[in-house]
Amino acid sequence: MKYAQRLSAATTIASIRIEYRELLTDRPRVRRVRIVFNRRKITLSNISKFADKWVLVIDDMEGMRSQLRMSLTNSGFAKLHIVANIREALERMASNRYDVVLCDYSLGDSTDGQQFLEHLRTNDLISRNTIFVMITAEQAYEKVVAASECAPDDYLLKPFTAGQFNARLEKLLERQEYFAGIDKAADAKDWARVIAECDKALPARNKYFVELCKTKAAALMHSNRLQEAANLYREVLALRPIGWARLGLARALAMQGKKDEAQQIAREILADSPQFMAAYDFLGGQLASSGEKKAALEVLQKARAVSPGTMNRIRELSTLAVSAGQPELAESVMRQALQKHKYSPVRQVNDYAILSKALTNQGKADEALSVVADARKDFRDEHSQIILAATESVAHRAAGNDELAEAALAKAMAGDINALPAETVTAIADACFALGKEDEANKLLRHAIQNNPEDETIRSKVHDVLIAAGKEITEANAMIEDSTQEVIRTNNDGVRKAESGQFDEAVELLCEAANRLPNNLQIVSNAALVIALALVKNGNNPQMLAQCLRYRDLLVKKSPDYPKIAQIDSQLRLLQPARSSQ
Amino acid sequence: MNDLYAAVIHDVKNQLAELALRLGERADAQQEMNIAMNAARRLSEMLLVIRQEAELLSVNPDSVDTGDFLAILAAEYRELFPTLELDIDTGHAPAFAFFDDALVRLALSNAVHNACRSARSRVRLAAREQDKMLVLEVADDGPGFPDATLENEGDAPASASSRGTGLGLYLARKIAELHKLEGRNGRIELSNDGGAVFRMFLP
Repeated sequence: MKYAQRLSAATTIASIRIEYRELLTDRPRVRRVRIVFNRRKITLSNISKFADKWVLVIDDMEGMRSQLRMSLTNSGFAKLHIVANIREALERMASNRYDVVLCDYSLGDSTDGQQFLEHLRTNDLISRNTIFVMITAEQAYEKVVAASECAPDDYLLKPFTAGQFNARLEKLLERQEYFAGIDKAADAKDWARVIAECDKALPARNKYFVELCKTKAAALMHSNRLQEAANLYREVLALRPIGWARLGLARALAMQGKKDEAQQIAREILADSPQFMAAYDFLGGQLASSGEKKAALEVLQKARAVSPGTMNRIRELSTLAVSAGQPELAESVMRQALQKHKYSPVRQVNDYAILSKALTNQGKADEALSVVADARKDFRDEHSQIILAATESVAHRAAGNDELAEAALAKAMAGDINALPAETVTAIADACFALGKEDEANKLLRHAIQNNPEDETIRSKVHDVLIAAGKEITEANAMIEDSTQEVIRTNNDGVRKAESGQFDEAVELLCEAANRLPNNLQIVSNAALVIALALVKNGNNPQMLAQCLRYRDLLVKKSPDYPKIAQIDSQLRLLQPARSSQ
Repeated sequence: MNDLYAAVIHDVKNQLAELALRLGERADAQQEMNIAMNAARRLSEMLLVIRQEAELLSVNPDSVDTGDFLAILAAEYRELFPTLELDIDTGHAPAFAFFDDALVRLALSNAVHNACRSARSRVRLAAREQDKMLVLEVADDGPGFPDATLENEGDAPASASSRGTGLGLYLARKIAELHKLEGRNGRIELSNDGGAVFRMFLP
């Protein structure tokens, strides 16, 4: 519009330049028409390509924002949102799906672009297929950031020209299209399909070959196909000793129980590239889980010296420091981080819980209570309130206010425990231990384990709570193992009863367990299957059918390609042939 | 490095970024944009040399498509030097290669910039495989490297006033050398063959 208005009789078009470029074909195609008048350029290139792409720009500097708007508009982008901070960015992202996110690395004094990206990825707030480009003025940041867990799709080093930017974006969009199917499957956590799609694409050995290997290996890890993942990482390493492939191999080995070999690889990576942040985090985690807390702390401290790091590392470090008996360290690290991220959405209620704990353990119960009070202002949701009540309870207890401690704990335990996320449950268990309620604490921890059978993070969290409560490592491990075995026994009993025709008992046993452990997909799927089998045998019963379908839907929601769904469905079809046509 | 210095450099690059984008909207400001971009690259080079001398510079090789890599580089310099022909030849390049994209990009930017400044009408960017090494080549049709430059092949620059090329070539050599594989190191080679030819060999 602006240009059209300016166009007057006095204005003449100074030049029209048409650029030819060959793209994959031998036939030259017009890629870019450049019209110059009034000494301004309008590039008509890519209009069809960029016009329908949604772009979000995050930059704290007013001048850059308006210049980027102008450049992007000139390049043919029509659907643009430009914001100044990550809070606005998150609001936009909640209601809009972007194809491209351009984010400045430095966003004033608060949360930076890398921390923002990590927040998006850890909380699944951004599709794998969204192109995330980090704009940075500093080469040095790039090196540290590149070697961290969530790397952006590309970096633009300031200053850059519009031509350079467009050329990069064209390549990124080409990649976006190529990976669309794979990314969609990954967003749905449909790892089997990710693997299948990668297998289809790999034989071409094209320019995406190595990235396809990386994607497939990650999907194999998610599917617990560790040996295959390790083999694939080794295949990549035979081409070139790339950092992420070395770390991937270490992870696969660690999960196979080959901890020494895994740690050795991580140490070698760090010897070669001390800026490989993900290797510190991995090594620290490994050491912590084998009880070597001091060594783990040292590794994470070293990481912090290289790069102050993202909230995930601060959390790891301060949690570890608390459980290793160094609450002063936890306090200073977490206080500093929360000060830096004041008002930022990357903070979590647990950060305040850790800080409060660190203070309580130093005998500063009053300060611990004021941290809880501060957190209450920002975290008003139900789960946060529960975690804070549990945290408060521990602080009150330490201050000698037993009545207040009991009241706070009662508040934390008022709701339906089955419906709470494991993180919250372990926080309550921690408070129970502090108030001498061992039985309740153990019950809660058993539940957390049984409801999340495959989740290593929960296991180590439970482990931490037990150790903090003064249990020996062997005792803690035995308790975790026993909880795991108990649920396996329940499952096997149910299946055996169904096999021997005792459907009523099987249904009762498995449904009770499924209601208690809605996250344990093996239990939930077997409950659904056993009901379906019982219905086929004993005739339809609308109430039981409803229950069966409820479990089935829960299953589909949590894991759409869970193998047992097909089995359940085939039983249901026998029961009610009409269902299959729905 | 001193935090204050780093902050100032950061600030200057931000201002140059805004300037470059402003100039980019104009059709008659290529030379000015060129100056802004070149100034920023000099700052980047200086920062990297400081890091390299403190032995803090390390490479993170990953898979890179050399065709895409050179295409993006060419797009940038086509914009800065619109009267030159910039050709890309990746006919003998492997489907994917392994190197540190960001560092090699900076090293090559310097070579392309020099080539564009010296060229009469053409600059050629090429990638190919040779003796199990990836060769990235920048050739122009200008007067060629001066003898002194050919002799010291990217040694540490003698003085800060050596018009830019000294520091850039030195850094390019260091970046190439940081790429190592099975006992082989990267290197650069300078020669004159119908113009200046810069080659970076990466294992």
